Amino acid sequence: MSLARQQLIRPLSRSPLLSFSTFRSTLITQRYISTSKFAQAEHHDHDHQLHSDMKLLHKGSQKPLYANHDKDIERYKRGATAVDKAVHLFFITEIMRGMWIVIENFFREPYTIMYPFEKGPLSPRFRGEHALRRYPSGEERCIACKLCEAICPAQAITIESEARMDGSRRTTRYDIDMTKCIYCGFCQEACPVDAIVETQNQEFSTETREELMYNKEKLLANGDRAEAEIAANLHSDHVYR
Amino acid sequence: MVSLHRTIRNLRRVGLREWWRQMQYIGDAKSGRLVGTDAFGNRYFENMDATEEIPGRHRWVDFAQHEYHASQVPPEWHAWLQHIRAHPPAEDALIKRMTQPWQAPWQENLTGTRGAYKPYNTVAPKINTWQPKVIARA
Repeated sequence: MSLARQQLIRPLSRSPLLSFSTFRSTLITQRYISTSKFAQAEHHDHDHQLHSDMKLLHKGSQKPLYANHDKDIERYKRGATAVDKAVHLFFITEIMRGMWIVIENFFREPYTIMYPFEKGPLSPRFRGEHALRRYPSGEERCIACKLCEAICPAQAITIESEARMDGSRRTTRYDIDMTKCIYCGFCQEACPVDAIVETQNQEFSTETREELMYNKEKLLANGDRAEAEIAANLHSDHVYR
Repeated sequence: MVSLHRTIRNLRRVGLREWWRQMQYIGDAKSGRLVGTDAFGNRYFENMDATEEIPGRHRWVDFAQHEYHASQVPPEWHAWLQHIRAHPPAEDALIKRMTQPWQAPWQENLTGTRGAYKPYNTVAPKINTWQPKVIARA
């Protein structure tokens, strides 16, 4: 401890009133920060110790800056005030009110939807697993125009095409890398014949990464299985498309 | 925590056997109208009474298989279960009209089994190895 600090502290500890007050407050309200020792440390007039040019500023004024600081500190010398105690009391009631809400909701019916037995609502425009569709005659729709391949922002689609025996142009390869796909739906918007669509199926998670490299036959099989749902969804939104 | 009143009420409605089955699978006593059964034997229920079922829980499926999975629901019933279509497929005129004769039966997600999809090339190879064929001389 420096000599200057000893000089400062000695008059404090000599005062019988102050030492009694600190002892009393530590016994009664030990856990209150407002009554702890460091919070009650008396502010000292450091006026004569200022070594900077600021002392000129303080000296110059008619009234010292902390002239009536004794009056401000006085009310904290007797331990916690009624306001301090009230604040702590109200925080406890606050916690109790919060716990009461927990108890209330414990006895209430939960809002949980029991998936997969119950499911949340889905839009007919939902974009899930891809499928290639067929015309009602059973002819496949895709004409290998490669618009979906061009617009795909993730470049997940790969198409190769050849002329068929009857002269019409069809894809020989229609691969979608479902690990690249971001399900933006641009492919189904770009398609001029509604061949590539995203079905409402979202439960196609796989065990291996390999299984997500869809080829043309997998996509056509998806379309063949879900054709009724796809067509009904497209029809329900046809006014807006 | 589900209320005791709800459990007892639904237990009295569906019977002890059905309640036990529900507790094994859904984990909650539910009672409602049997809307239909699909080709796989899954049963679909509905209870539109908002005082009995919270909206969002008013349609549910009882899976036929013990190893149940969400993908066991065929697409037509899936549209009804996920609230995309208002009516079940048997009463939905649009679904009936859009059903094609060449449609394939639904298959559940077979990942992890021997029936899982394996990707393969659908294009004939463009580069073929040279075949040392000797043309017979005249």
